[in-house]
Amino acid sequence: MTSRDYDIVVLGAGPGGYVAAIRAAQLGFRTAIVERAHLGGICLNWGCIPTKALLRSAEIFRMCGRANEFGVTRGGKTRVDLKTLVGRSRTVAGELNTGVGFLLKKNCVDVIWGEARIVGPGKLAVRKLKKASEHTEPSAPKDALGPGDYAAQHIIVATGARPRVLPGLEPDGKLIWTYFEAMQPPAIPKSLLVIGSGAIGIEFASFYCALGADVTVVEILPEILPAEDAEIAALARKAFEKHGIKIFTDTKVVDLEKEADAVTATIEFGDGKRQTIKTERAISAVGVVGNVEGLGLEELSVTIDKETIVADGLGRTNVPGIYAIGDVAGAPMLAHKAEHEGVVCVEAIKRLNVHGLDKLRIPGCTYSDPQVASVGLTEDKAKAAGRQVRIGRFPFRANGKAFALGEREGLVKTIFDANTGELIGAHMVGAEVTELIQGFVIAMQLEATEEDLMRTVFPHPTLSEMMYESVLAAYGRAIHIPPAAGR
Amino acid sequence: MATVAEASHKDRILASPLARRLAKQAGLDLGSLQGSGPHDRIIKRDIEAALGVGRDGASAGQAVATVPGRAFAAVPALSDEKILALYDKGAYKILPHDNMRKVIAERLTIATQTIPHFYLSVDCRLDDLMRARERMNAASPHEGPRAYKLSVNDFIIKAMALALQEVPAANATWTEGGMLRHRYSDVGVAVAVEGGLFTPIIHQAEVKSLSEISNEMRDLAKRARKRRLAPHEYQGGTTSISNLGMYGIKSFDAVINPPHATILAVGTAERRAVVVGESIAPATVMNVTLSCDHRVVDGATGAALLGTFKAFIEDPVRMLV
Ligand SMILES: Cc1cc2nc3c(=O)[nH]c(=O)nc-3n(C[C@H](O)[C@H](O)[C@H](O)COP(=O)(O)OP(=O)(O)OC[C@H]3O[C@@H](n4cnc5c(N)ncnc54)[C@H](O)[C@@H]3O)c2cc1C
Repeated sequence: MTSRDYDIVVLGAGPGGYVAAIRAAQLGFRTAIVERAHLGGICLNWGCIPTKALLRSAEIFRMCGRANEFGVTRGGKTRVDLKTLVGRSRTVAGELNTGVGFLLKKNCVDVIWGEARIVGPGKLAVRKLKKASEHTEPSAPKDALGPGDYAAQHIIVATGARPRVLPGLEPDGKLIWTYFEAMQPPAIPKSLLVIGSGAIGIEFASFYCALGADVTVVEILPEILPAEDAEIAALARKAFEKHGIKIFTDTKVVDLEKEADAVTATIEFGDGKRQTIKTERAISAVGVVGNVEGLGLEELSVTIDKETIVADGLGRTNVPGIYAIGDVAGAPMLAHKAEHEGVVCVEAIKRLNVHGLDKLRIPGCTYSDPQVASVGLTEDKAKAAGRQVRIGRFPFRANGKAFALGEREGLVKTIFDANTGELIGAHMVGAEVTELIQGFVIAMQLEATEEDLMRTVFPHPTLSEMMYESVLAAYGRAIHIPPAAGR
Repeated sequence: MATVAEASHKDRILASPLARRLAKQAGLDLGSLQGSGPHDRIIKRDIEAALGVGRDGASAGQAVATVPGRAFAAVPALSDEKILALYDKGAYKILPHDNMRKVIAERLTIATQTIPHFYLSVDCRLDDLMRARERMNAASPHEGPRAYKLSVNDFIIKAMALALQEVPAANATWTEGGMLRHRYSDVGVAVAVEGGLFTPIIHQAEVKSLSEISNEMRDLAKRARKRRLAPHEYQGGTTSISNLGMYGIKSFDAVINPPHATILAVGTAERRAVVVGESIAPATVMNVTLSCDHRVVDGATGAALLGTFKAFIEDPVRMLV
């Protein structure tokens, strides 16, 4: 048994937790971080990063299929070597995981290996975990401290989230997958049912479709990518359908029957009519729930609502000395949101003058083919909020670089407050838009108006010129589309 | 004055493009706002706060930030509607309150509602001070960092600082938990600015020379008029001075600036006929009125403070020891 006193102990080493710990160390706090499974959390090991590695392979495969179009011919048929493909994704995750350990060490953050529980105000018990999870062999970094009692003035809970399980659709790891299995398939199934069309579901649908699976997506809400602007989501849907993905919206899976090597789903449409779909495998991507259990939070009366810890904009829970950030503190469940919440939380503990994150300035990205990226209010939400808006649209098919790249499908849409010129939303679908959206996020953060954006020089030829033109279009001034079309 | 106004226009105000536009649309003077963005940049949030508008959807959920809370809302004697009903529409126009106006309203309402004030008044003869001041100013180098030009107010700051050291019971602040006895005399001086006032502070004025006080005050006042004071330059303090002498005001009572326990209201220095011995002689006389927080300063303590102040002012040589 060891006992040590820290200024700050962070529970969970995902992007929320490890960033909070590094920031705390930078500010001179004596800091430790407890992790039970993998440095880097879901994001690095089972989320953002490995999926992007998989999608990169899918993209290259698809481009190989189009190689002739670009004047490149290769002998023979392009094939997927799934073992190498998945192996590469795992290696990428592993390398970054090691990188996090290195950063923590260089910042003098103690890593405590095991499962943490808050046993009283400022008190932690860390115990050895029998098995980290079905998916990861716990691999403690070399200098990690072991189980025991620890004390900290401030405890930041960053324990993340796990797949939501709906009754009747329970994943079994064989036929019905969560993202864990979907990320390391033994073979590409011939047919696949994806339940849920949020970013995670759509990315897997896009990946498996590219690799040749017959993919069906079922979404209970009226449109896929429900968080996105309806117009953009509809365009994305068209593109997915063109790739061959079958999409049912306003439809729910009411039953999932397992057979020897297949599943049969009964789906019910909005009008009550039913149909069955037989696929080899199914992925349940119906969202995630916060890891709030077993942490001792109930005993300390920390307020929990809808499987997430209730915290204010500075990460403070209702109990002094206990903070929550990242996925466990609620939507949007995104890595960059977790990171920023970690920084804000620690800076607030340091009593630096900080403000809570403005959730409307947190971008969201889906790395499917085509990509989708957005920040701020959707057109519907802006109108529902009573804002008078000016909307600009600029299509990929009017952009020179898009032509050169052979990526002519897509749209950049901007939404301005008609009275003040404030950029209140930006929404994009098409190639590389996840790398473009940041320009608008900066503009929002610096509170640029349409005038500033119109005076900004965008390099030619780039896809980013569409951002400029979209702004112009909102004010009827687009150059490369005929008048009125952009309004 | 014109030069100050010009200078403040040239001075760069850090504000986001959106904040500039919103301020312009609302007819708000950006210079009157305190920014809450990085490097004190004025951003949309500050304009909304100044206009007192509810946060729109765009920023909901952010209210928990460390913006100073407006816990206290002054209760108006009459509701806005009742007041507006007393006047014909078109017979007035409504100017939105800026942040400074709101802070003044809030703090002075708190002061008058929570601090039991009483007032002590005394005349001070300034003849010796005027003579000393003339000789000192004549001795100043013409230019350079050591040049100075002392004003009567600089002597008042110094005298008040020294008097507080001699009557330490008055250099205090009331808190519910106990009396704060201050070690230093940090003297705030009210500076009128367009649309309100600032009270920058001369810290530890008891140990500073008159020329140091004078030059520091000049710098603070200049920057106060441009609204370019850092918070630590106007927050805190142990007493303050409000001087309306230059407007010809003979005497007045000032409202204490919380958390201070006293404020000295200074009237104009004027030539008066005074009785010296058995005869009447011309003299330069200035009236000062000390407002006291009775929770901290009792009548006798206040009288001792004011008496000591008067002694320093009437015989300024004593300030040199
Ligand atoms: C397939 C998939 C793809 C995704 N893609 C993206 C993307 O492209 N972009 C994006 O922004 N987000 C993406 N996300 C979401 C992103 O992964 C999460 O938002 C992010 O990981 C949240 O970070 P966190 O620090 O809050 O929690 P996590 O990353 O979940 O980390 C929490 C850590 O806490 C540990 N832990 C939990 N309980 C305890 C305990 N009691 N004691 C000790 N340790 C504990 C866990 O082992 C875990 O390592 C994706 C998610 C998935 C599943």
